[in-house]
Amino acid sequence: MKRDHQDICGADGGGYGNSSGSKGESSITSKGKLWEEDQDAGDMDELMAVLGYKVRSSDMADVAQKMEQLDMAMGTAQEDGISHLAYDTVHYNPSDLSSWVQSMLTELNNPVLPNSDSNSSKPQQHQQIVSSNQSQVYNDDSEYDLRAIPGIAAYPQPKRIKTSMETDSSSSTTEPSTQPVVLVDSQEAGVRLVHTLMACAEAVQQENLKLADALVKHIGLLAASQAGAMRKVATYFAEALARRIYGVYPQDSLHPSYTDMLQMHFYETCPYLKFAHFTSNQAILEAFATSNRVHVIDFGLKQGMQWPALMQELALRPGGPPVFRLTGIGPHQPDNTDALQQVGCKLAYLAETIGVKFEFRGFMVNSLADLEPKMLDIRPPEVETLAVNSIFELHRLLARAGGIEKVLSSIKTMKPKILTIVEEEANHNSPVFVDRFTEALHYYSSLFDSLEVSGVVPPSSQDLVMSESYLGRQICNVVACEGVERVERHETLAQWRSRMKTSGFSPAHLGSNAYKQASMLLALFAGGDGYRVEENDGCLTLGWHTRPLIATSAWQVAATE
Amino acid sequence: MAQNHHRGCHRRNHQETVGETEEKRSKFFINDHADILIEILKRLDGRSLCVAASVCRLWCAIARNNSLWENLCFRNVSPPTSSVRSVVLALGGYKRLYVGCVRPVRSLLGRVRRASMARDEVQLSLSLFCVDYYERLGGRNSNGRLVGESSPSSLMFLCKPVNV
Repeated sequence: MKRDHQDICGADGGGYGNSSGSKGESSITSKGKLWEEDQDAGDMDELMAVLGYKVRSSDMADVAQKMEQLDMAMGTAQEDGISHLAYDTVHYNPSDLSSWVQSMLTELNNPVLPNSDSNSSKPQQHQQIVSSNQSQVYNDDSEYDLRAIPGIAAYPQPKRIKTSMETDSSSSTTEPSTQPVVLVDSQEAGVRLVHTLMACAEAVQQENLKLADALVKHIGLLAASQAGAMRKVATYFAEALARRIYGVYPQDSLHPSYTDMLQMHFYETCPYLKFAHFTSNQAILEAFATSNRVHVIDFGLKQGMQWPALMQELALRPGGPPVFRLTGIGPHQPDNTDALQQVGCKLAYLAETIGVKFEFRGFMVNSLADLEPKMLDIRPPEVETLAVNSIFELHRLLARAGGIEKVLSSIKTMKPKILTIVEEEANHNSPVFVDRFTEALHYYSSLFDSLEVSGVVPPSSQDLVMSESYLGRQICNVVACEGVERVERHETLAQWRSRMKTSGFSPAHLGSNAYKQASMLLALFAGGDGYRVEENDGCLTLGWHTRPLIATSAWQVAATE
Repeated sequence: MAQNHHRGCHRRNHQETVGETEEKRSKFFINDHADILIEILKRLDGRSLCVAASVCRLWCAIARNNSLWENLCFRNVSPPTSSVRSVVLALGGYKRLYVGCVRPVRSLLGRVRRASMARDEVQLSLSLFCVDYYERLGGRNSNGRLVGESSPSSLMFLCKPVNV
């Protein structure tokens, strides 16, 4: 009912549309039944009939489209003398909508006006828009037919008309006049963009690099017509595809402090890292409940942003804080600066301020698989409670054979009370390139969408750009790299679960405290309505709308018989 | 409060003009009784407290009193332990905690708040407060001396967003 009413009142420009709508409404209240009796047997649309219009069901789509064209035409030429349509034109049988709309359109195209010379060009252009839109809507070219794609991309008819309309009409009508045209165009281009991206991935998988190259160029063109998240995602994916096609694999040679800085901006702009830190900390706190000496091994210390909150909770624990020892793992620094030590000093300063006894050690390794438990000075469980924490680090081990197995068995020998893992909730490790590509496209689209909404005040575009750059590097790695270079081998929670279970770990459920705290944290973010915390069999996932994006899980060493 | 002050002045003037019958009545000047003033100010909300701080120098000094802001932070929640107090004071004080964390958290969560959440709100605010302190530390060397710049932006997300 609502849809039809909108169609009727769509012709807003002239006065006639509204009056006919109200006439329809009055007919509902007084003579609804009467109109229904006038219907042909089952042929007329019932809903329209109740409003007083006779439209064949088979004609509905056609009539709707013509109404749209009429609306556009009236909207665009508001100031330029189509008022005659409201007053001078004779309308024959307006209840027969399809013929009425047709007559209105022909009136527009062949207006009888005193000053028709300057305006006559317009209706011809409207007609042209109409036909080009129709051709865009009904043109069903296969994405593998390369000839078809340049045809549309090189045929920017709506855009050309837009510019000529701008020169004709006054500036005040430019805004409303160009809007309908752009909307249809960008929606169409959006769908085409996704199809082209998929086609390019297919071409790359089939090693048809010539086709892939041509498609990549078109992605660039199409991406330019989009706005916001879609454009950015498409640009990053296009760049990654181009790198793969040309064999320009990105080296992971950026200074780690630069990548740390990118991650800091990502930390500021959106809640994913904060969620990871707070939920892991909650699990660790519960494991540390009764101990007087505690030890945390952090597989990726970075800037140490996770630990101030944990130290504060330990400091305010009833019964006083335990002795807190932190071992931070990080990559080698190219210029031999000891970044880990700097972070350790900062944390030590904080610990002293809030009254927690603190010890720190840092280890620089190229890969977690290089760690040996005896290096880490693990003390027996009766003396010291151990927690191992890994935030977005474990998936990197999947690049080398045997890596993850070695690390998991090392962890088991350390006998931690709890192991907290946060990983991306997506399968970007499929051996089939197209599957990986599709998954990544959907995943990063959701991620970029959420970034778009959670704008920080003051709108710091620098933060946003840095966060996007942080994600862009991941995209590049997933799409363009192979072999040991491809470290962003994300896997789903289900995959990690089965891996952990076969390696001898049993799940530890995250309690309701973690859930409550996470929900509260998310409510603080702009766009808080879009974020979803969900409990998944003892694990917590954070997602954007219906799509879970990261998952926190906690594990303990399974008791052996 | 300001009215009391005024009334005190008027009464004095009135006394001077009226004469001996008024001499026996005791003069009450709120600024002479700082403890009563504090008790009254304790019951104000954050905004009024800031306004009260602009009344005069004495009130400004009193309004900076940590116990006033502590009351604001822990309103509707059981009073904090001494360990909480020492931690908060070390991290920058209750006024900073209230203005930087507790107030924005309460206003952002306002629409979904339930009474039981008050304690959790304060705890979350404390954690965010600590993270913010850590970020403001900047780089430190092993002597605890400041060597690098700080980037105080962790609490930016608590500011109300612009509606686009």
